Amino acid sequence: MFLLVVAMVVSLFGVRLFQLQGLDPKAYAAKAREQGAVTAVLPAKRGEILDRTGSPLAQSVQGRMLIADPALTRPYAAVIARVLADRLDVDYFDTLAKLTKKNSRFQYLARRIPSTQATAAVTAIQAKIKPLIKDKEKRAVPFGGVTLMSDPLRSYPGKDVAANLLGFINANGQPSGLELSFDKLLSGKDGKQTYEVGGGNRIPLGQNTTVEPRNGKDLELTIDRDTQWYVQRVLCNAVEGSGAESGSAVVMRPGTGEVLALADCPTFDANDPSTAKKGTLGAPSLQNVYEPGSVEKVLTVSSLLDAHKVTPRTKITVAPELHVADRTIHDWFTHPVLHLTMTGVIAKSSNIGTAEAATQLTHEQLYDKLREFGLGSRTGVGLAGETAGLVPDWHSWSAVNQATIAFGQGISVNTLQMAAAINTIANHGVYVSPSLVKGSATTDSGQQVGTDHTTKRRVVSTEAATKMTRMMEMVPNPETGTAPGAQVAGYRVAGKTGTAQEVDPKCKCYGNGFTVSFAGFAPADKPAFTVYVVINKPTNGGGGGSIGGPAFSKIQSFLLQRYGVTPTGTKAPNLPIYWGSDLR
Amino acid sequence: MSILKSEIRVPRFAEETLRRARLSVVPDRVEEARRAPFVALVVLLLGGGVAGLLAFNTSMQQASFHATALENRADALTAKKQALSMQLAAKRDPQALAARAKALGMVVPTDPAFIRLTDGTILGQPTAATPDDSMRINPAPAVKPEVLAPKPRVVKVPAATPAAVTPSASPSTVEKKPHRQKKGHSIQ
Repeated sequence: MFLLVVAMVVSLFGVRLFQLQGLDPKAYAAKAREQGAVTAVLPAKRGEILDRTGSPLAQSVQGRMLIADPALTRPYAAVIARVLADRLDVDYFDTLAKLTKKNSRFQYLARRIPSTQATAAVTAIQAKIKPLIKDKEKRAVPFGGVTLMSDPLRSYPGKDVAANLLGFINANGQPSGLELSFDKLLSGKDGKQTYEVGGGNRIPLGQNTTVEPRNGKDLELTIDRDTQWYVQRVLCNAVEGSGAESGSAVVMRPGTGEVLALADCPTFDANDPSTAKKGTLGAPSLQNVYEPGSVEKVLTVSSLLDAHKVTPRTKITVAPELHVADRTIHDWFTHPVLHLTMTGVIAKSSNIGTAEAATQLTHEQLYDKLREFGLGSRTGVGLAGETAGLVPDWHSWSAVNQATIAFGQGISVNTLQMAAAINTIANHGVYVSPSLVKGSATTDSGQQVGTDHTTKRRVVSTEAATKMTRMMEMVPNPETGTAPGAQVAGYRVAGKTGTAQEVDPKCKCYGNGFTVSFAGFAPADKPAFTVYVVINKPTNGGGGGSIGGPAFSKIQSFLLQRYGVTPTGTKAPNLPIYWGSDLR
Repeated sequence: MSILKSEIRVPRFAEETLRRARLSVVPDRVEEARRAPFVALVVLLLGGGVAGLLAFNTSMQQASFHATALENRADALTAKKQALSMQLAAKRDPQALAARAKALGMVVPTDPAFIRLTDGTILGQPTAATPDDSMRINPAPAVKPEVLAPKPRVVKVPAATPAAVTPSASPSTVEKKPHRQKKGHSIQ
């Protein structure tokens, strides 16, 4: 009898064993795993973007999103909305509407909130609601109406500082700007961990597999945060003060090509790009082109100096107007026949004088020099979407093209390109490729950029560059030049103004707008900084000297002071501007 | 069973002694080993093992609780650290610093000047800062749309010359054109 019972029990076990192991063992195993196993993504930390001093321009923070289940929150909506409005800077009434929404069980209350703040808010909500729940059993369970979920938060502590360069990461996690160009480098690779859980705790000897996350690397820029901030403010003041549409400014170190500041105005708060005005999200200083105007005369004249075609004292007879083929070229000021030296042509910014002098170069020579100065090719600083500008092929030039290109019309550049070209003169005739990245970094497209990959090439002789500098020193001179506002007291400053008509993209003709600019460097005899300021479409009637000049001076003063560059103590040479009968 | 045991019980190195012992007439006094201590030992080992394993498992579980608690705490602390570093970064933000400096009445110096400490020489041209040097650090207030802020209407009244005073030359309304620069290749 006993044996029979034993046999029955054993056979029952046998049947169950067969059912478990024989019929569909995999499904049961999977079910068991599902119950106990947890797979967690170990998020890789996105690298920071730092300025040249190591201050963060972009950093990643653990973030949370607050989610509401309106079905649960409706009775307590007022209490919850009050807490959230107090703690998270969300609108009370918007939140109230979300909390009481009908036929919904999922509402975003707030996104990308720093983890501590979010947790504190939820704790506060639970503490407020607990006494309101009447059911004793329900009161024992934490209120589940407002929950948290991971929501990585990218923070830009400088707000609008360098925002045009850095870009931002939108709500869908899509990056732009440098965040996009160096996305692979910055983002790293997420890890994964699978482990078994019992009662919220890991089972010690349970299955456990871990793939460690690979954190993103930091990206160090050559940008100086404080300089960038100051340049942005000075630039925006110049833009707003002149009623202009937009503007950009560059600060470069002549010897190394490091870009200390690359500013655009208007700009936006990278923490909240949704509030940006339309069309301000990119980096126009690299992505837009314009005609450089008279600033380009520096390149033409230094090429002439390099070819020994002119000297600073070369006498030029400047006609009231210049007829080239079927076109007539004017100067910005009406004048009778003027007797200007080459220096005078630069100081007074005469188109006619420059065009006349430039006839001594062949089309090919001028074209080649402009290309050597970096015009018509990307600077390759690493920001996606940079424009190359345009220098038309010399084979297609006519005499008019030669004349207008000589004073900066009929070619297009971006701001950094032009700054790098002027920087060549500051760097004694050697072009240095500009850099935004300190050290070396690889863009997503596989391009290696940074100060470790700087290239240099001689464009004009040291002698030509020195002569050009002396001529440019006459521009901020109040007695001889067009930009007295660009002076820095106690320092020797070399520069050049520019005012060019803007090309209307609709009619592809010259419109009513102007692009005014000022490029220069100081101290002239030992350049420490090249600064270039460009203002688009000012409406107060000002030119490169009156709008760009003062902004240039402010930026230079700040830089010289911040980096402790003392005056050289030498005196600027006084080159003759006029000759013959105009000599006074 | 007992033969097997005696074989086991006699170690190899003892054989010589055994042989010598056989030579003398001595009664065989090989004692039967007592079983009790062995059983006790086994039971002790087994019991101890089970208890140890149980204790070990419990402590592992305890450690796991502790690890989970510590991990949670580490997460919270990391989040706190990040929040604090964010706050610090916000305080160090140049805009915030400039706003505080401006509130104290500070301005950006216009002309850089230095004192060389070795000989006390003043380099540059020091100039006293004035309130005029103050710089706007916030964007200008938004321009109102034209509907809300209409442009002033400028009415040009032709100068009344004796010849022109006729009923037909009544004052005409002309909107002033915005200031414009010269067209053509005017470049400065």
